Amino acid sequence: MIKRSFFGLVKPKLHYEVIDEAPAEPVSITGVKQTKLFIAQSPGQAGEEMLKVGDPVKAGQKITLAPDAKAYATAAAGGQIAEISDFIGLLGKKYTMVTIDGSAGGDPGEDDAFKALSQSPSLENAAAYLAGLPGKPDFTPFFDKEKKVKAIVVCGADRDLLTTTNQYFVRNNIIAIKTGIDLLCRITGISNAILVVPQHLEQVAGSSGAIVKTVDSEYPSAHPELIMQHLLAADEGKSAAAGIAFFSAEAVCAIGAAYSTGKLPMEKIITVITKDGNQRLVSAPIGTPLQSILSEFGETLNEGDRVIFGGPMTGVSVFRTDHPVTPDTDAIIVQDAGDVMERTDTACTNCGECIRVCPVNIQVNMLIRLLEAGEYETAADQYDLFSCIECGLCTYVCESRIPVFQHIKLAKHTLESMKAAEETNA
Amino acid sequence: MHNTLKLTVSHAPFWHNGSRISSKSSNIFLASLLAVVPGCLQYGPAAVGVVTLSIATAILWELAFNFISRRPFSIGDGNAAVIGMMLAMMLPATTPWWAVVTGTFFAVVIGKEIFGGIGANPFNPAVLAVTILMVSWSGLFDFNAALLNYDFDFMAVYPLVLSKSFGAGAVDSLSLADLLMGKQIGGIGATFGLGLIVGGVYLMLRGYIRWEISIAFLAGILVAALGFSVANPTQYAGPGFHLFTGYTLLGAFFLATEDASSPVNFIPMIIYGLIGGILTVMIRNIGVHIDGVLYAILIINLVNPLLDKIRPKAIGKGV
Ligand code: SF4
Ligand code: SF4
Repeated sequence: MIKRSFFGLVKPKLHYEVIDEAPAEPVSITGVKQTKLFIAQSPGQAGEEMLKVGDPVKAGQKITLAPDAKAYATAAAGGQIAEISDFIGLLGKKYTMVTIDGSAGGDPGEDDAFKALSQSPSLENAAAYLAGLPGKPDFTPFFDKEKKVKAIVVCGADRDLLTTTNQYFVRNNIIAIKTGIDLLCRITGISNAILVVPQHLEQVAGSSGAIVKTVDSEYPSAHPELIMQHLLAADEGKSAAAGIAFFSAEAVCAIGAAYSTGKLPMEKIITVITKDGNQRLVSAPIGTPLQSILSEFGETLNEGDRVIFGGPMTGVSVFRTDHPVTPDTDAIIVQDAGDVMERTDTACTNCGECIRVCPVNIQVNMLIRLLEAGEYETAADQYDLFSCIECGLCTYVCESRIPVFQHIKLAKHTLESMKAAEETNA
Repeated sequence: MHNTLKLTVSHAPFWHNGSRISSKSSNIFLASLLAVVPGCLQYGPAAVGVVTLSIATAILWELAFNFISRRPFSIGDGNAAVIGMMLAMMLPATTPWWAVVTGTFFAVVIGKEIFGGIGANPFNPAVLAVTILMVSWSGLFDFNAALLNYDFDFMAVYPLVLSKSFGAGAVDSLSLADLLMGKQIGGIGATFGLGLIVGGVYLMLRGYIRWEISIAFLAGILVAALGFSVANPTQYAGPGFHLFTGYTLLGAFFLATEDASSPVNFIPMIIYGLIGGILTVMIRNIGVHIDGVLYAILIINLVNPLLDKIRPKAIGKGV
């Protein structure tokens, strides 16, 4: 944890992790018996032909709750479905958690549905099979009829502190990134590809063939929203802000590899930080439960400890010891119960720290007063609620220790669901 | 099924820079001691009595109010103690106990708690309280009369009274160095200028007060005082005199900078400070009051909500 500097006049500077030398090879997690997948749909919504406990699953198989359902996950390892359960995520988002047991039954073999398609790469089959790859590639912007995608931006910088996944790929696998970018350009017909990397990787990034842009090492400059504003909008006018599809370097590598081998790469690169502060790079199949990774390092969890999936600023704390690695789990951080800082409900003292750190100039001191009073609409209309890029810095510096970020998330969510409800009623 | 181990679940971010209100309070408290301790040495046990009574009753009033209004006890954040300290710094050492207790009541209960506690007070609580005391019992703040029984090794006259009644010539004999070193009479924590400056600079560097406000306040004093003394040197004392007398330094570093009642954006902070400084000198020179700092601060507290409307536009998608 980085403390406030003695001279408080100096703005707090949080720097991204830098891997300068070629990093140590990741520790591979193997022999995992049970994997778990999240499907962004609750079990009840799927309709008739539900997935059933006992169904066989092949490695690399696309799992949907019903044959025609859109939401899917990809199984990293084969086996039998052992459990299907409800899972409530952040802000009440509903998921289905599917547990696949690899020890039951014989080896079901590998799924070849994608292999047949991989000979003729297209945006459609990418969207239909690759969204569960490591790095969680998102193809939806290409299907948005209103906003045409004009550029593909590949993030070779990591979004949150302590995470190093994307840097790792730029550092070690720039050729794979090139393959992936070329492929993406081909299937989308977009020639404007930009690779964004931290400054120290500028040279390496050159061989990707894409236009290279750098971001500085201070959090949150690698945030997609800021990349868009600072780097791209400046060059191409404000209109460029619309119509950008972001991919992480990891996702691009995985897409490239999927098409060139016909097999779906399912190993996720994760930075694991144990309670003692040790930091290691880990490669684990998507779906690997938390405890399988922790036991590799002899880490035990106690009552009150906190486990964070993702970085320290924007991650999510999990409540199950078997929470699985998902396509976008870039880091797993274990904090001892003693290191967990309590938030309070003290009122804002108007110290102004949050205003000094907010990258988008939000008047957080005013915003929080409105949010605490539940006046979400005024907050959105007058105090720029929706400009917030969710970096978490205001909460990091707040001397009253108000969970500002949580208030912001809740307010946005409430307003968005109100809007959605109005639209369906209209 | 997963076992029943209870992990802590909370919302991001999971890091914090470690700041807390109580560490800000204790730093302000310590910085103020730089001026209060010399003040106590100068005025003796009576001053110590006023300071301790003021701090203690400020804390007790807050505790009592927390209790009555059934709110969580907030004295741990140290804010009440700081208010008590600020109040005592402005009082003469001879202030009777009942006035101190009334003062802390006005400061903590009327000035802060009824507005909703920390962060919600529109005025600096201590300034508000002292102003009420001044208006109600003006005799208490007649520093010349109050401190009559003391035997000082310097001219025991409140400098601002001198300049007000007899013009700039009357204060020519006061050396700025003496004023800075506290060789003047006044509030317990308001006379030792050097201590106030060192404490103020410390707080600015550590970011516990917003330097823009202090600097702009002092700049306002300098500019206005210079203007007056250039226009009429025989009647109006120069900027140095205004800087080191009355509550100027206390106001610039400890009073105008109070978090809740001051702005947070750069331009508003500068305007806020400048107006405060200029008004101070204007009230002193052409107003009916002897010192203008407290009224000036109340006025800028009042315009603060307007000033904070001048704010940078948020960047990004929501616009
Ligand atoms: S999380 Fe806080 S600091 Fe970050 S953009 Fe939003 S309001 Fe600003
Ligand atoms: S950092 Fe916290 S206490 Fe300070 S102004 Fe912002 S919200 Fe208020």
